[in-house]
Amino acid sequence: MRFERQSGFLVLASFFTGCALTLPAAAQAPETHAKVELIADPDSHVSKGTVWVGLQFSLDPGWHIYWRNAGDSGEPPVVRWTLPAGAKAGPLEWPTPVRLGSGSVVDYGYENEVLLMKPIEIEKGAAPSSLPVAADVKYIVCREICIPGKAHVEVEAGTGNGLPPAKTAEWEAKFRKAREELPKRLPVDWSCSARQWDTGIRLRVEGASAVRNAIFFPDEPGLIENSASQKYAASGRGFDLWLTKSQQLLHSAIRLQGVLAVELLDGTRHSYQVAMPVH
Amino acid sequence: MKRLAMVLGLAVFGAGWGLTSAWAARVGERAPDFTATDSNGKVHKLSEYAGKYVVLEWTNRGCPYTQKHYDSGNMQRLQKEWTGRGVIWLTVISSAPGKQGYVTAADENSYVKEVNAAPTAVLLDPTGALGHLYDAKTTPHMYIVNPQGTLIYNGAIDDRATTDVADVNGAKNYVSLALGEAMGGKAVSAPATRPYGCSVKYPN
Repeated sequence: MRFERQSGFLVLASFFTGCALTLPAAAQAPETHAKVELIADPDSHVSKGTVWVGLQFSLDPGWHIYWRNAGDSGEPPVVRWTLPAGAKAGPLEWPTPVRLGSGSVVDYGYENEVLLMKPIEIEKGAAPSSLPVAADVKYIVCREICIPGKAHVEVEAGTGNGLPPAKTAEWEAKFRKAREELPKRLPVDWSCSARQWDTGIRLRVEGASAVRNAIFFPDEPGLIENSASQKYAASGRGFDLWLTKSQQLLHSAIRLQGVLAVELLDGTRHSYQVAMPVH
Repeated sequence: MKRLAMVLGLAVFGAGWGLTSAWAARVGERAPDFTATDSNGKVHKLSEYAGKYVVLEWTNRGCPYTQKHYDSGNMQRLQKEWTGRGVIWLTVISSAPGKQGYVTAADENSYVKEVNAAPTAVLLDPTGALGHLYDAKTTPHMYIVNPQGTLIYNGAIDDRATTDVADVNGAKNYVSLALGEAMGGKAVSAPATRPYGCSVKYPN
Protein backbone atom coordinates (compact mmCIF):
# COMPACT_ATOMS: atom_id res chain seq x y z
CA MET A 1 0.00 0.00 0.00
CA ARG A 2 2.69 2.50 0.92
CA PHE A 3 5.89 1.82 -0.83
CA GLU A 4 7.68 4.70 0.89
CA ARG A 5 6.71 3.40 4.28
CA GLN A 6 7.88 -0.07 3.49
CA SER A 7 11.27 1.10 2.32
CA GLY A 8 11.62 3.17 5.50
CA PHE A 9 10.81 0.08 7.52
CA LEU A 10 13.46 -1.88 5.72
CA VAL A 11 16.08 0.70 6.61
CA LEU A 12 15.18 0.40 10.27
CA ALA A 13 15.10 -3.37 10.11
CA SER A 14 18.57 -3.55 8.65
CA PHE A 15 19.86 -1.03 11.16
CA PHE A 16 18.68 -2.99 14.15
CA THR A 17 19.49 -6.47 12.98
CA GLY A 18 22.33 -5.91 10.56
CA CYS A 19 25.11 -6.58 13.07
CA ALA A 20 23.72 -9.90 14.21
CA LEU A 21 22.29 -11.41 11.07
CA THR A 22 23.04 -11.72 7.43
CA LEU A 23 20.16 -10.10 5.65
CA PRO A 24 19.02 -10.88 2.15
CA ALA A 25 20.54 -8.44 -0.30
CA ALA A 26 17.22 -6.82 -1.05
CA ALA A 27 16.86 -5.62 2.51
CA GLN A 28 20.25 -4.00 2.80
CA ALA A 29 19.52 -0.73 1.08
CA PRO A 30 16.36 1.26 0.59
CA GLU A 31 15.18 1.78 -2.96
CA THR A 32 16.06 5.41 -3.40
CA HIS A 33 16.42 5.42 -7.21
CA ALA A 34 18.71 8.43 -6.97
CA LYS A 35 22.30 8.81 -5.86
CA VAL A 36 23.33 12.30 -4.80
CA GLU A 37 26.95 13.44 -4.60
CA LEU A 38 28.56 16.82 -4.11
CA ILE A 39 31.52 17.27 -6.41
CA ALA A 40 33.93 20.13 -7.01
CA ASP A 41 35.27 21.42 -10.30
CA PRO A 42 38.94 20.31 -10.32
CA ASP A 43 39.76 23.36 -12.44
CA SER A 44 38.57 25.89 -9.89
CA HIS A 45 40.95 27.05 -7.21
CA VAL A 46 40.34 29.16 -4.16
CA SER A 47 42.91 31.63 -5.47
CA LYS A 48 40.71 32.40 -8.50
CA GLY A 49 37.99 33.92 -6.33
CA THR A 50 35.23 31.57 -7.51
CA VAL A 51 35.00 27.88 -6.81
CA TRP A 52 32.44 25.72 -8.59
CA VAL A 53 30.72 22.85 -6.86
CA GLY A 54 27.86 20.75 -8.16
CA LEU A 55 25.18 18.35 -7.01
CA GLN A 56 25.45 15.24 -9.11
CA PHE A 57 22.21 13.24 -9.34
CA SER A 58 22.58 9.73 -10.77
CA LEU A 59 19.16 8.24 -11.42
CA ASP A 60 17.94 4.72 -12.01
CA PRO A 61 16.64 4.12 -15.55
CA GLY A 62 13.23 5.72 -16.09
CA TRP A 63 13.38 7.82 -12.91
CA HIS A 64 13.57 11.59 -12.96
CA ILE A 65 14.01 14.67 -10.82
CA TYR A 66 12.69 18.12 -11.63
CA TRP A 67 13.80 21.40 -13.16
CA ARG A 68 13.44 24.74 -11.31
CA ASN A 69 9.89 24.89 -12.75
CA ALA A 70 8.75 21.31 -12.32
CA GLY A 71 5.77 21.70 -14.65
CA ASP A 72 2.47 20.06 -13.73
CA SER A 73 3.65 17.78 -10.92
CA GLY A 74 6.68 17.19 -8.71
CA GLU A 75 9.07 19.71 -7.20
CA PRO A 76 12.66 20.78 -7.82
CA PRO A 77 15.31 19.73 -5.30
CA VAL A 78 15.66 22.07 -2.33
CA VAL A 79 19.18 22.60 -1.02
CA ARG A 80 20.50 24.09 2.19
CA TRP A 81 24.17 24.99 1.85
CA THR A 82 26.74 25.18 4.61
CA LEU A 83 29.80 27.26 3.76
CA PRO A 84 32.78 28.45 5.76
CA ALA A 85 33.12 32.10 6.71
CA GLY A 86 34.35 34.25 3.86
CA ALA A 87 32.47 32.28 1.22
CA LYS A 88 29.20 33.24 -0.43
CA ALA A 89 27.01 31.00 -2.56
CA GLY A 90 25.82 32.11 -5.99
CA PRO A 91 22.69 30.83 -7.74
CA LEU A 92 22.19 27.18 -8.66
CA GLU A 93 22.64 26.70 -12.40
CA TRP A 94 19.99 24.51 -14.07
CA PRO A 95 20.85 22.72 -17.32
CA THR A 96 18.13 22.73 -19.97
CA PRO A 97 15.54 20.14 -18.96
CA VAL A 98 13.54 17.68 -21.01
CA ARG A 99 9.78 17.35 -21.29
CA LEU A 100 8.54 14.40 -19.24
CA GLY A 101 5.29 12.52 -19.20
CA SER A 102 2.55 12.38 -21.73
CA GLY A 103 -1.14 13.04 -21.96
CA SER A 104 -2.55 15.74 -19.75
CA VAL A 105 0.23 15.90 -17.12
CA VAL A 106 3.60 17.10 -18.39
CA ASP A 107 6.66 17.91 -16.29
CA TYR A 108 10.12 19.37 -16.85
CA GLY A 109 13.12 17.58 -15.44
CA TYR A 110 16.09 15.32 -15.87
CA GLU A 111 16.58 11.63 -16.47
CA ASN A 112 19.73 9.49 -16.12
CA GLU A 113 22.03 12.08 -14.60
CA VAL A 114 22.37 15.80 -14.08
CA LEU A 115 24.85 18.13 -12.43
CA LEU A 116 23.38 21.23 -10.78
CA MET A 117 26.33 23.60 -10.51
CA LYS A 118 26.80 26.38 -8.02
CA PRO A 119 29.48 29.05 -7.84
CA ILE A 120 30.97 29.82 -4.45
CA GLU A 121 32.51 33.28 -4.24
CA ILE A 122 35.46 33.80 -1.95
CA GLU A 123 35.33 37.22 -0.35
CA LYS A 124 38.29 39.50 -0.88
CA GLY A 125 40.76 39.19 1.95
CA ALA A 126 39.60 35.72 2.88
CA ALA A 127 42.38 33.29 2.07
CA PRO A 128 41.29 29.75 2.85
CA SER A 129 43.55 27.01 1.55
CA SER A 130 40.49 24.96 0.73
CA LEU A 131 36.77 25.18 1.06
CA PRO A 132 34.69 22.58 2.88
CA VAL A 133 31.19 22.75 1.41
CA ALA A 134 28.18 20.82 2.68
CA ALA A 135 24.69 20.53 1.29
CA ASP A 136 21.47 19.15 2.71
CA VAL A 137 19.32 18.14 -0.20
CA LYS A 138 15.63 17.31 -0.25
CA TYR A 139 14.24 16.01 -3.50
CA ILE A 140 11.46 13.97 -4.99
CA VAL A 141 12.30 11.30 -7.54
CA CYS A 142 9.53 9.91 -9.72
CA ARG A 143 8.82 7.34 -12.37
CA GLU A 144 5.27 6.05 -12.28
CA ILE A 145 5.30 6.83 -8.59
CA CYS A 146 7.17 9.41 -6.51
CA ILE A 147 9.55 8.86 -3.62
CA PRO A 148 10.91 11.67 -1.48
CA GLY A 149 14.59 11.52 -0.68
CA LYS A 150 17.15 13.46 1.29
CA ALA A 151 20.90 13.50 1.43
CA HIS A 152 23.68 15.19 3.33
CA VAL A 153 26.72 15.55 1.08
CA GLU A 154 30.09 17.21 1.51
CA VAL A 155 33.12 18.05 -0.56
CA GLU A 156 36.44 19.74 -0.02
CA ALA A 157 36.38 22.25 -2.86
CA GLY A 158 38.98 24.50 -4.35
CA THR A 159 41.95 22.29 -3.65
CA GLY A 160 42.66 21.64 -7.30
CA ASN A 161 44.88 18.67 -7.94
CA GLY A 162 44.47 16.87 -4.67
CA LEU A 163 42.30 14.26 -6.39
CA PRO A 164 43.45 11.04 -7.99
CA PRO A 165 43.85 11.52 -11.76
CA ALA A 166 40.90 9.31 -12.69
CA LYS A 167 38.59 11.26 -10.38
CA THR A 168 39.91 14.56 -11.71
CA ALA A 169 39.12 13.52 -15.28
CA GLU A 170 35.67 12.24 -14.32
CA TRP A 171 34.68 15.38 -12.45
CA GLU A 172 36.11 17.65 -15.14
CA ALA A 173 34.01 15.83 -17.72
CA LYS A 174 30.86 16.24 -15.64
CA PHE A 175 31.37 19.99 -15.25
CA ARG A 176 32.19 20.35 -18.95
CA LYS A 177 29.00 18.50 -19.90
CA ALA A 178 26.87 20.51 -17.47
CA ARG A 179 28.25 23.80 -18.86
CA GLU A 180 27.37 22.66 -22.36
CA GLU A 181 23.83 21.90 -21.23
CA LEU A 182 23.25 25.30 -19.64
CA PRO A 183 21.08 27.68 -21.66
CA LYS A 184 23.17 30.38 -23.33
CA ARG A 185 22.47 33.96 -24.31
CA LEU A 186 20.42 34.31 -27.48
CA PRO A 187 22.63 34.74 -30.59
CA VAL A 188 23.04 38.47 -31.29
CA ASP A 189 21.28 38.28 -34.64
CA TRP A 190 18.23 36.53 -33.20
CA SER A 191 15.37 38.38 -31.51
CA CYS A 192 12.31 37.21 -29.60
CA SER A 193 8.92 38.81 -29.16
CA ALA A 194 5.61 37.60 -27.75
CA ARG A 195 1.99 38.43 -28.48
CA GLN A 196 -1.07 37.08 -26.76
CA TRP A 197 -4.69 36.32 -27.44
CA ASP A 198 -7.42 34.94 -25.24
CA THR A 199 -6.11 31.43 -25.08
CA GLY A 200 -2.55 31.58 -26.30
CA ILE A 201 0.78 33.27 -26.71
CA ARG A 202 2.77 33.41 -29.92
CA LEU A 203 6.52 33.40 -29.33
CA ARG A 204 8.18 34.79 -32.48
CA VAL A 205 11.89 34.31 -33.11
CA GLU A 206 13.36 36.40 -35.90
CA GLY A 207 16.80 36.07 -37.41
CA ALA A 208 16.98 32.35 -36.71
CA SER A 209 17.92 30.17 -39.65
CA ALA A 210 18.45 26.46 -40.16
CA VAL A 211 16.08 25.63 -37.31
CA ARG A 212 14.07 22.44 -37.55
CA ASN A 213 12.08 22.52 -34.35
CA ALA A 214 11.84 24.35 -31.04
CA ILE A 215 10.36 24.05 -27.58
CA PHE A 216 9.91 26.57 -24.81
CA PHE A 217 10.32 25.83 -21.09
CA PRO A 218 8.61 28.53 -18.98
CA ASP A 219 10.33 29.77 -15.82
CA GLU A 220 6.98 30.61 -14.27
CA PRO A 221 4.36 27.98 -13.45
CA GLY A 222 0.74 28.72 -14.29
CA LEU A 223 1.50 30.75 -17.40
CA ILE A 224 1.29 28.22 -20.22
CA GLU A 225 -0.39 24.83 -20.37
CA ASN A 226 2.51 22.41 -20.03
CA SER A 227 0.71 19.49 -21.64
CA ALA A 228 -0.43 21.40 -24.75
CA SER A 229 1.61 20.74 -27.87
CA GLN A 230 3.73 23.72 -28.88
CA LYS A 231 3.07 24.24 -32.55
CA TYR A 232 6.23 25.11 -34.47
CA ALA A 233 5.81 27.11 -37.67
CA ALA A 234 8.74 28.22 -39.81
CA SER A 235 8.50 31.66 -41.32
CA GLY A 236 10.64 33.55 -43.79
CA ARG A 237 12.59 35.32 -41.10
CA GLY A 238 12.65 32.68 -38.39
CA PHE A 239 9.88 30.79 -36.68
CA ASP A 240 6.85 31.03 -34.43
CA LEU A 241 6.05 28.86 -31.47
CA TRP A 242 2.38 28.77 -30.46
CA LEU A 243 1.89 28.31 -26.74
CA THR A 244 -1.43 27.65 -25.02
CA LYS A 245 -2.23 29.68 -21.92
CA SER A 246 -2.77 27.83 -18.67
CA GLN A 247 -6.29 27.79 -17.28
CA GLN A 248 -4.65 28.97 -14.06
CA LEU A 249 -3.78 32.29 -15.71
CA LEU A 250 -6.66 34.61 -14.83
CA HIS A 251 -5.20 37.86 -16.14
CA SER A 252 -3.25 38.87 -19.23
CA ALA A 253 0.27 37.54 -19.52
CA ILE A 254 2.81 40.25 -18.79
CA ARG A 255 6.15 38.62 -19.34
CA LEU A 256 7.44 35.46 -20.95
CA GLN A 257 10.67 34.14 -19.52
CA GLY A 258 12.32 30.79 -19.78
CA VAL A 259 14.48 28.55 -21.89
CA LEU A 260 14.09 28.27 -25.65
CA ALA A 261 15.55 25.01 -26.94
CA VAL A 262 16.05 24.55 -30.66
CA GLU A 263 17.03 21.70 -32.90
CA LEU A 264 18.92 22.78 -36.02
CA LEU A 265 18.76 21.17 -39.46
CA ASP A 266 22.17 19.63 -38.80
CA GLY A 267 20.69 17.77 -35.83
CA THR A 268 22.48 19.77 -33.12
CA ARG A 269 20.55 21.13 -30.16
CA HIS A 270 21.03 24.51 -28.52
CA SER A 271 19.21 26.34 -25.80
CA TYR A 272 18.89 29.95 -24.80
CA GLN A 273 17.66 31.86 -21.77
CA VAL A 274 15.10 34.36 -23.05
CA ALA A 275 12.83 36.99 -21.52
CA MET A 276 10.43 39.37 -23.17
CA PRO A 277 7.30 41.39 -22.48
CA VAL A 278 4.05 39.92 -23.82
CA HIS A 279 2.03 42.33 -25.94
CA MET B 1 -16.76 39.24 -27.25
CA LYS B 2 -14.20 36.71 -26.12
CA ARG B 3 -15.09 34.35 -28.91
CA LEU B 4 -14.96 37.16 -31.44
CA ALA B 5 -11.42 38.02 -30.36
CA MET B 6 -10.41 34.40 -30.70
CA VAL B 7 -11.94 34.08 -34.16
CA LEU B 8 -10.16 37.22 -35.27
CA GLY B 9 -6.90 35.87 -33.93
CA LEU B 10 -7.36 32.70 -35.91
CA ALA B 11 -8.43 34.53 -39.02
CA VAL B 12 -5.42 36.81 -38.98
CA PHE B 13 -2.79 34.25 -38.18
CA GLY B 14 -4.24 31.12 -39.70
CA ALA B 15 -2.46 28.74 -37.38
CA GLY B 16 -2.69 28.53 -33.65
CA TRP B 17 -5.20 27.22 -31.23
CA GLY B 18 -8.39 25.52 -32.23
CA LEU B 19 -11.65 26.42 -30.58
CA THR B 20 -11.56 23.02 -28.95
CA SER B 21 -8.64 24.04 -26.73
CA ALA B 22 -10.96 25.95 -24.40
CA TRP B 23 -10.09 25.47 -20.76
CA ALA B 24 -11.56 22.58 -18.85
CA ALA B 25 -12.27 24.24 -15.53
CA ARG B 26 -11.37 27.87 -15.21
CA VAL B 27 -12.02 30.03 -12.19
CA GLY B 28 -14.81 32.50 -12.82
CA GLU B 29 -16.52 30.21 -15.28
CA ARG B 30 -19.26 27.64 -14.78
CA ALA B 31 -17.90 24.44 -13.22
CA PRO B 32 -18.48 21.56 -15.63
CA ASP B 33 -21.37 19.40 -14.52
CA PHE B 34 -20.72 15.71 -13.99
CA THR B 35 -22.26 12.49 -12.83
CA ALA B 36 -20.08 10.07 -10.87
CA THR B 37 -20.54 7.06 -8.62
CA ASP B 38 -19.17 6.95 -5.07
CA SER B 39 -17.64 4.07 -3.12
CA ASN B 40 -21.09 3.15 -1.77
CA GLY B 41 -22.63 2.96 -5.22
CA LYS B 42 -24.48 6.24 -4.88
CA VAL B 43 -24.60 8.52 -7.90
CA HIS B 44 -23.66 12.19 -7.45
CA LYS B 45 -24.44 14.95 -9.89
CA LEU B 46 -22.74 18.28 -9.36
CA SER B 47 -25.77 20.33 -10.42
CA GLU B 48 -27.86 18.63 -7.73
CA TYR B 49 -25.71 20.45 -5.18
CA ALA B 50 -26.72 23.87 -6.49
CA GLY B 51 -27.09 26.20 -3.53
CA LYS B 52 -24.13 24.67 -1.69
CA TYR B 53 -20.41 25.00 -1.83
CA VAL B 54 -18.74 21.92 -3.29
CA VAL B 55 -15.08 21.00 -2.74
CA LEU B 56 -13.42 18.51 -5.11
CA GLU B 57 -10.28 16.86 -3.75
CA TRP B 58 -8.18 14.61 -5.99
CA THR B 59 -6.42 11.93 -3.99
CA ASN B 60 -4.02 8.97 -4.26
CA ARG B 61 -3.14 7.35 -0.97
CA GLY B 62 0.20 6.07 -2.31
CA CYS B 63 1.41 9.56 -3.16
CA PRO B 64 3.75 11.10 -0.56
CA TYR B 65 2.23 14.57 -1.05
CA THR B 66 -1.21 13.17 -0.28
CA GLN B 67 0.19 11.19 2.65
CA LYS B 68 1.51 14.40 4.16
CA HIS B 69 -2.05 15.69 4.48
CA TYR B 70 -3.60 12.42 5.69
CA ASP B 71 -0.79 11.28 8.02
CA SER B 72 -0.90 14.69 9.71
CA GLY B 73 -4.69 14.57 9.92
CA ASN B 74 -4.83 17.85 8.02
CA MET B 75 -7.15 16.65 5.27
CA GLN B 76 -9.51 14.92 7.70
CA ARG B 77 -9.65 18.11 9.81
CA LEU B 78 -10.54 20.17 6.74
CA GLN B 79 -13.19 17.66 5.68
CA LYS B 80 -14.79 17.70 9.15
CA GLU B 81 -14.63 21.44 9.52
CA TRP B 82 -16.13 22.33 6.15
CA THR B 83 -18.73 19.56 5.86
CA GLY B 84 -19.76 20.68 9.37
CA ARG B 85 -20.45 24.06 7.85
CA GLY B 86 -22.65 22.68 5.07
CA VAL B 87 -20.02 22.18 2.38
CA ILE B 88 -20.26 19.12 0.11
CA TRP B 89 -16.78 17.57 0.04
CA LEU B 90 -16.17 15.10 -2.77
CA THR B 91 -12.90 13.21 -2.75
CA VAL B 92 -12.05 11.89 -6.24
CA ILE B 93 -9.83 8.94 -7.15
CA SER B 94 -8.81 8.98 -10.81
CA SER B 95 -6.09 6.31 -10.59
CA ALA B 96 -6.53 3.73 -13.35
CA PRO B 97 -6.66 -0.02 -12.56
CA GLY B 98 -3.11 -1.30 -12.04
CA LYS B 99 -1.78 2.15 -11.17
CA GLN B 100 -0.84 3.64 -7.84
CA GLY B 101 -3.85 4.72 -5.83
CA TYR B 102 -6.40 2.59 -7.66
CA VAL B 103 -8.88 1.13 -5.21
CA THR B 104 -11.99 -0.96 -5.17
CA ALA B 105 -15.07 0.45 -3.48
CA ALA B 106 -14.70 -1.92 -0.50
CA ASP B 107 -11.01 -1.03 -0.12
CA GLU B 108 -11.80 2.62 -0.10
CA ASN B 109 -14.58 2.30 2.45
CA SER B 110 -12.31 0.53 4.90
CA TYR B 111 -9.54 3.08 4.27
CA VAL B 112 -11.90 5.98 4.96
CA LYS B 113 -12.73 4.35 8.32
CA GLU B 114 -9.10 3.55 9.09
CA VAL B 115 -7.87 7.11 8.63
CA ASN B 116 -11.05 8.79 9.91
CA ALA B 117 -11.61 10.62 6.68
CA ALA B 118 -14.84 12.61 6.56
CA PRO B 119 -15.69 13.59 3.01
CA THR B 120 -19.32 13.68 1.92
CA ALA B 121 -18.40 10.91 -0.53
CA VAL B 122 -15.47 9.38 -2.40
CA LEU B 123 -16.05 9.34 -6.16
CA LEU B 124 -14.42 6.49 -8.05
CA ASP B 125 -13.17 7.62 -11.44
CA PRO B 126 -11.01 4.76 -12.79
CA THR B 127 -11.50 5.88 -16.40
CA GLY B 128 -10.20 9.35 -15.54
CA ALA B 129 -13.25 10.96 -17.15
CA LEU B 130 -13.95 13.27 -14.23
CA GLY B 131 -10.24 14.03 -13.83
CA HIS B 132 -9.95 15.05 -17.45
CA LEU B 133 -13.18 17.05 -17.29
CA TYR B 134 -11.54 19.26 -14.66
CA ASP B 135 -8.00 18.75 -15.99
CA ALA B 136 -6.86 17.57 -12.56
CA LYS B 137 -3.07 17.39 -12.62
CA THR B 138 -1.91 16.30 -9.20
CA THR B 139 -2.79 14.66 -5.93
CA PRO B 140 -3.85 16.62 -4.07
CA HIS B 141 -5.52 19.04 -6.51
CA MET B 142 -8.38 21.08 -5.09
CA TYR B 143 -11.38 22.83 -6.66
CA ILE B 144 -14.21 24.82 -5.10
CA VAL B 145 -17.59 25.41 -6.73
CA ASN B 146 -19.82 28.11 -5.24
CA PRO B 147 -23.59 27.81 -4.65
CA GLN B 148 -24.23 29.42 -8.07
CA GLY B 149 -22.22 26.70 -9.78
CA THR B 150 -19.21 28.89 -10.59
CA LEU B 151 -15.69 27.62 -10.05
CA ILE B 152 -14.07 29.89 -7.44
CA TYR B 153 -10.86 28.00 -6.70
CA ASN B 154 -8.53 25.75 -8.68
CA GLY B 155 -5.14 24.79 -7.31
CA ALA B 156 -3.02 23.59 -4.43
CA ILE B 157 -4.21 22.70 -0.98
CA ASP B 158 -1.69 25.09 0.59
CA ASP B 159 1.43 27.11 -0.05
CA ARG B 160 4.02 24.53 1.10
CA ALA B 161 4.84 22.35 -1.87
CA THR B 162 6.65 19.62 0.05
CA THR B 163 6.11 16.10 1.33
CA ASP B 164 7.10 17.05 4.90
CA VAL B 165 4.40 16.59 7.52
CA ALA B 166 6.16 19.32 9.50
CA ASP B 167 5.17 21.83 6.81
CA VAL B 168 1.43 21.47 7.45
CA ASN B 169 1.54 23.73 10.49
CA GLY B 170 2.07 27.30 9.46
CA ALA B 171 1.08 26.71 5.85
CA LYS B 172 -1.46 29.03 4.29
CA ASN B 173 -4.35 26.73 3.44
CA TYR B 174 -5.82 27.99 0.19
CA VAL B 175 -9.02 25.93 0.49
CA SER B 176 -9.95 27.30 3.90
CA LEU B 177 -8.91 30.77 2.81
CA ALA B 178 -11.12 30.67 -0.29
CA LEU B 179 -14.12 29.12 1.49
CA GLY B 180 -13.83 31.59 4.36
CA GLU B 181 -13.60 34.55 2.05
CA ALA B 182 -16.44 33.42 -0.21
CA MET B 183 -18.77 32.65 2.69
CA GLY B 184 -17.92 36.04 4.16
CA GLY B 185 -19.02 37.72 0.95
CA LYS B 186 -15.49 38.61 -0.06
CA ALA B 187 -13.63 38.00 -3.29
CA VAL B 188 -11.31 35.00 -3.20
CA SER B 189 -7.82 36.46 -2.86
CA ALA B 190 -5.91 33.49 -4.28
CA PRO B 191 -8.33 31.87 -6.76
CA ALA B 192 -5.79 29.97 -8.88
CA THR B 193 -2.51 28.51 -7.62
CA ARG B 194 -0.15 25.87 -8.92
CA PRO B 195 -1.41 22.54 -7.59
CA TYR B 196 1.47 20.54 -6.21
CA GLY B 197 1.83 16.81 -5.82
CA CYS B 198 2.21 13.57 -7.73
CA SER B 199 0.75 13.34 -11.21
CA VAL B 200 -2.78 11.91 -11.37
CA LYS B 201 -2.37 8.28 -12.46
CA TYR B 202 -4.60 8.34 -15.51
CA PRO B 203 -4.92 5.34 -17.83
CA ASN B 204 -2.26 5.40 -20.55
